[in-house]
Amino acid sequence: MMDALLAQLPVALGMGIIGAVVFSAIGLISGSDETTTIAPLTLLVVLIGVPPAGVYTFFLAGAVSKHMTHAVPTALLGIPGDTMATPMMREANYLRQLGVPHIALRKMISGGVIAALIAVPVTVVFALLLAPFGGFVQHTAPYLFLIAALAIAYFSPGRWAAVLALGPFVLIIVALQNLTAAHGVKLGVSYFLGIAIGPLISDLFLVLSPAERARRKRDRPARFSLAPDVKRWSGYFPNPLKVLDSRQASWTIGTAVASSLTFVFSPVAMTVIMGEVVSSRIRHVYHRLTTTLAVRNGVTESTYIAEALIPLMAFGLPLSPVAAGPAAPLFNAPPRFTVDSASGQVNNLHNLLGTWEFLIYGLLAVVLALLIAYPFSMNYARRAASFVSRNISHEAIIGTFVGLILVIGLWEGGLLGLLVVVTVGLVGGFLSRLLGFNIGVQFMGFYIAVLTVPALTALL
Amino acid sequence: MRNDRLLEVWNDTVDGHHLIGSLIIGGAVSLGAFQAAEWLLGMFIDDPRMARTYAMLFGIIGCVVGGAICACLFRPKREVVEDTVDTENLQGVLAALYADYGSRGGVEDLPEAVRSELRELELEEAFLVYERDHVQGDAVALAEHDLGRAGREGVKS
Repeated sequence: MMDALLAQLPVALGMGIIGAVVFSAIGLISGSDETTTIAPLTLLVVLIGVPPAGVYTFFLAGAVSKHMTHAVPTALLGIPGDTMATPMMREANYLRQLGVPHIALRKMISGGVIAALIAVPVTVVFALLLAPFGGFVQHTAPYLFLIAALAIAYFSPGRWAAVLALGPFVLIIVALQNLTAAHGVKLGVSYFLGIAIGPLISDLFLVLSPAERARRKRDRPARFSLAPDVKRWSGYFPNPLKVLDSRQASWTIGTAVASSLTFVFSPVAMTVIMGEVVSSRIRHVYHRLTTTLAVRNGVTESTYIAEALIPLMAFGLPLSPVAAGPAAPLFNAPPRFTVDSASGQVNNLHNLLGTWEFLIYGLLAVVLALLIAYPFSMNYARRAASFVSRNISHEAIIGTFVGLILVIGLWEGGLLGLLVVVTVGLVGGFLSRLLGFNIGVQFMGFYIAVLTVPALTALL
Repeated sequence: MRNDRLLEVWNDTVDGHHLIGSLIIGGAVSLGAFQAAEWLLGMFIDDPRMARTYAMLFGIIGCVVGGAICACLFRPKREVVEDTVDTENLQGVLAALYADYGSRGGVEDLPEAVRSELRELELEEAFLVYERDHVQGDAVALAEHDLGRAGREGVKS
């Protein structure tokens, strides 16, 4: 076992460093949603044939780094770094108004560091406990996905509207699949990308329509105030346990463990709930702001790690919103990684990595992310936020993502692939905006279409 | 700043014409890179599937290059104001904060670590002043009332 670990160590190390550096940078750009950035790059890493340990460390170091640097725009500019950063806006804004945004930043990042370190071992232990049910889960997967999808839809902002909208949405995906199959094209990533980038696609359509464009006119640019930053420690690598006080550290640890166990729920919802639970227990309002931020950002790390790793280790099936979305290429990246809907057979990191490898490379990835993203965001946050907000226009970000839509769509299915990305994005974007049928529910809808629908039609 | 072409798209402001320019540049550079790479790599890599995957890598690099070109051509439509934290209005911010969250106990009850953090941030005085002026204030009382069960549990512990 040691030999196998050592043999893969250099590639695991190298890919982990690449993931941490790339996603530390992406985290600084506000609006760079996890699924639109992590999923395509991880897919690329899978398909160019990087060994399993390297795929795994790339993904994990990337996700952990992104959820550290996303605190920079959130705290200093008042714009959420990504989807997971939105539940922290309120507290971060108050601290900004009090003139201490750097405190918001440091509490968030330190909470993230502690939670990420704890989440990996907790997750591995929990996955081992669930593993005996792996066979059962694989056989009943089509129905489990249906139940999970209904639950996630009910707990989304759309409630019953989202539950009922699952039907038409699944139907659209099944119809699109049959259409592309008739032309010999089988698509996977195109759907993920369409769902993840739906809000951009639907917005672009909206501003093309004269009536809606008039509503979206603005008479002046958006105004952001970039807050000052004050360094309060000497050296380069501040101790996260000194940045947080003892109660904050223990709440962060407690919620990191708790949120590692609730791996089937939406990560944003977990972040909100855990924050509320802790917030109601802290007496003084200032202490409440800082503790909530530490805990919430900790949960963004732990829930991401758990939601990706537990389904991957225990079942090999993407049975959680993160596994179905940003982590999807770890499960399903044909032709290399596959999930067979008929037999429940899986061939992905689940088979290719052992328990020890999941644990050791997992810790390696987290440590690499800490060594790169943590001191970077602690020391250079202000300069980075200033650079991004002054030099990277929103048009440039939109241009990049539109390029990504074109490349991935055409790569996977030619013109048909591109049309599927746009169709799914347009429909999904509107459903999300109008009904609160959010991205997590849409991913589950995709899995109902590919897993549950074939199983049910086979019964008929 | 002039501009009657400003629009809100995907949670930020853009200039309509610049947006069209970015869509064209972003699309052309990424697609150009992808197609050119597929054609060139096809001559060196035997397995067309692998050639296509590597072409995708170049396509993604093309996306980033396209974005960089757009970033050079089109300036952000954001007004970034530095260091404008308005400490004059701290009491106003605190009033909003207390109304929004409520607070149980004052600065005196905080653990020493938290209190010294507030002191280092030069916020302790502002909090003390606010709490002195509003100790029976509506905001605190109201929030205390609303906190309900969770609040009482907190008080017990």
